Amino acid sequence: MQPVKRIEVIIDSPHLDSVLKAIEQAGISGYTVIRDVIGTGDRGPRSGDELTDVFKNCYVMTACPEDNLSQLVTAIRPLLKRFGGVCLVSDAQWIIH
Amino acid sequence: MDISLILSNLLNPPILFFFLGLLAVLLHSDLEIPQPLPKFLSLYLLLAIGFKGGVELNQSGIDRSVLVTIGLAMLMASVVPLYSFFILRLKLAASDAAAIAATYGSISAVTFITATAFLQDLNIPYSGYMVAAMALMESPAIIIGVLLYRLSGNSNRGELSWSELLRDAFFNGSVLLLLGSLLVGVLTGEAGKKELQPFTHGLFKGLLAFFLLDMGLVAARRLRDLRKAGVFLVSFAILMPLLNAALGMGLAYLVDMPRGDALLFIVLCASASYIAVPAAVRLAIPEANPSLYVPMALAITFPFNIIVGLPLYLYGIDTLWRLSHATS
Repeated sequence: MQPVKRIEVIIDSPHLDSVLKAIEQAGISGYTVIRDVIGTGDRGPRSGDELTDVFKNCYVMTACPEDNLSQLVTAIRPLLKRFGGVCLVSDAQWIIH
Repeated sequence: MDISLILSNLLNPPILFFFLGLLAVLLHSDLEIPQPLPKFLSLYLLLAIGFKGGVELNQSGIDRSVLVTIGLAMLMASVVPLYSFFILRLKLAASDAAAIAATYGSISAVTFITATAFLQDLNIPYSGYMVAAMALMESPAIIIGVLLYRLSGNSNRGELSWSELLRDAFFNGSVLLLLGSLLVGVLTGEAGKKELQPFTHGLFKGLLAFFLLDMGLVAARRLRDLRKAGVFLVSFAILMPLLNAALGMGLAYLVDMPRGDALLFIVLCASASYIAVPAAVRLAIPEANPSLYVPMALAITFPFNIIVGLPLYLYGIDTLWRLSHATS
């Protein structure tokens, strides 16, 4: 098994493309997106019941070697600062790569 | 005001389904429309209304009155956010003022569609090109709202991708689908109408009722957010549509618009966007609080327009138009 960093981002749906762009620019070739995730955070409930994406979140999960992590975090931090959202980084083991 | 006008609006199935949606939330019912359906219904309504408008435009052709009406629609979409912004700045930060100004400068397609159903029930004709006017009123307010914010000297503006904003304002899904369906209607005319008749005409009112049921659910859920809005914004959400409607009525009267077109024009002026604008504003003015501008448009202005506005605006048109004929 290969040790990797697991990165999970929850962000407003309108800003999903910016997060995916940051992932690609950090040289990470794969990611998983779950649209229309709901929950509650600092900005109150995200009910996801609108026609517009304004009250909807997206969940993005990716994994990368530790070397790529700082570039990705540097790119994502301004997005979170401006638009809000959550980014969690944790240690993980990649079974097959 | 004629009581039958109010009753014919209130006892319209789509409006009653809207009330049912409101009631379901107030009674804590577990009634819910599965997520992809409201999106499908909104796309269907835009397609159907765009196509119907195109077919009618194919039959009527384009003349001076079409250009005048579309010009006035664009004018109102540009002017409303300007004065709204300066009124809102009396109490709000530039970001919220700009977002709400853009919301009220743009239009609500669902309010427009409900108004067309109201006119059909009363057998009042309207022109197909009003759909084009609606599509063209969506975007200017977004651009003006963002410009007002950028020019307001706010320090926390960050970078803005104008190409992304312009693409979002002019080619967002609803504008593109409306204009595209209008074009399909213009190109196919009566033959196209016959082919799509059961889909675009037969199902229309039933699906509008279903969609308004969901709108009732969503509007009632958003009512909670209005506690944050306060008296000023709640008053704004009712008084601004009335002011915009009065200006729209004046313009419609000046160019002698037919009754049906005048009502749709006034409804467009009085309505506020809760689909196109929030999506664009969230990208361009992320500092603005969506818990203010979405509930104002969705939970106050939209119900106000479809319940009170429609009969009130038609009464205003009938009174003003009758007075003008009596004096001429």
